[in-house]
Amino acid sequence: MNQRYRWPTIGVHWLTVLLIIAAYVLATILEDMTLSPQKLKLYSWHKWVGITVLFLLPLRLLFRFLDPLDHRAGLTALEVKASAAVHGVIYLLLIAVPMFGWLHSSAAGFPVVWLGVLPLPDLVGKDKALAEVFKELHEGSVNLLIALVVLHAAAALYHHHIRRDGVLARMVPWLSKK
Amino acid sequence: MRFLLTLAFFAAIASSTLSSTTASAQDWKVDYRNSQIAFIIKQMNVPVEGGFARYSVKAAFDAAKPEQGTFQVELDIASIDTGSEEGDGEAKRPAWFDTARYPKARFVSKSIKRNNAGSFTVNGDLTLKGRTRPLSVPVVMTPQRGGGWLVSGRAVMKRSQFDIGGGEWADPTVVADDLEARFKILLNP
Repeated sequence: MNQRYRWPTIGVHWLTVLLIIAAYVLATILEDMTLSPQKLKLYSWHKWVGITVLFLLPLRLLFRFLDPLDHRAGLTALEVKASAAVHGVIYLLLIAVPMFGWLHSSAAGFPVVWLGVLPLPDLVGKDKALAEVFKELHEGSVNLLIALVVLHAAAALYHHHIRRDGVLARMVPWLSKK
Repeated sequence: MRFLLTLAFFAAIASSTLSSTTASAQDWKVDYRNSQIAFIIKQMNVPVEGGFARYSVKAAFDAAKPEQGTFQVELDIASIDTGSEEGDGEAKRPAWFDTARYPKARFVSKSIKRNNAGSFTVNGDLTLKGRTRPLSVPVVMTPQRGGGWLVSGRAVMKRSQFDIGGGEWADPTVVADDLEARFKILLNP
């Protein structure tokens, strides 16, 4: 199994990872800040990054479709199921987390203007109680996403170090050149 | 002949309408439940809406000649709603409205110009944070059932002219300098 994904697939995968880390770090900094111009900037950047993750998703699905690898090779039936389930839920969360953030922003009365240029429509009207619900869902879903990403990374490392089957190298091509 | 009769009929209506509306300027009652004073300000290019919960309006004019009337608006700045609690707290601090020293803002009309049917320009002085600047407000007056008026309009001003949001907040790329006020005031006879 010395196949690997093509560069566009690898590129958007790792770009998504970087964006998620950036959005999470921005959110963590934001939480402890009192209102200031800097906080308003970080808030906007957080939203821009999150919406970018959402916008990248169709591209990722397209690349996955155009650039398919055999996900079953060398796996037991249970492993195939577990892998498909984790990937499926991660994809769903890559939609859900930014969507809940967008919904929270709309309900809180703050429209989202992507990169400060593209105004996105408000998904719901201003509603404080609803805003709180979406905030909880945004936080809850991102925690689940991180847990699954950790599981996903652990599985990749297991394949690389224990199984030595080249699964990780499909997404990290420079590993296979050693 | 028929034409002349029709003409005479309309002339009669017109004169009766005129005579009934030549009463002198009256004070109008404000229906606060159906009135609103709001504002829009861009933060990081995001239009964010806010408003004032408490204000008082004094309107005195003759329905036939609003351009001879007077308008006066007083805002209770502490009743500001910026869209978020931390925003409301920040807005009252000295860098913004400094409500401890300047609890009220006031607009007083000085002259009113009739543009066309129902459309006027109200020129007056806006006093905000102790600074008085001239402000020109385009206003639309829509007659209501029962003889009332809906007075609505919007006016753009620059917050820097009133020292609203100085210091670290001065950067207009974060909070825009342009501030748009929107209002609709329902007046009953």
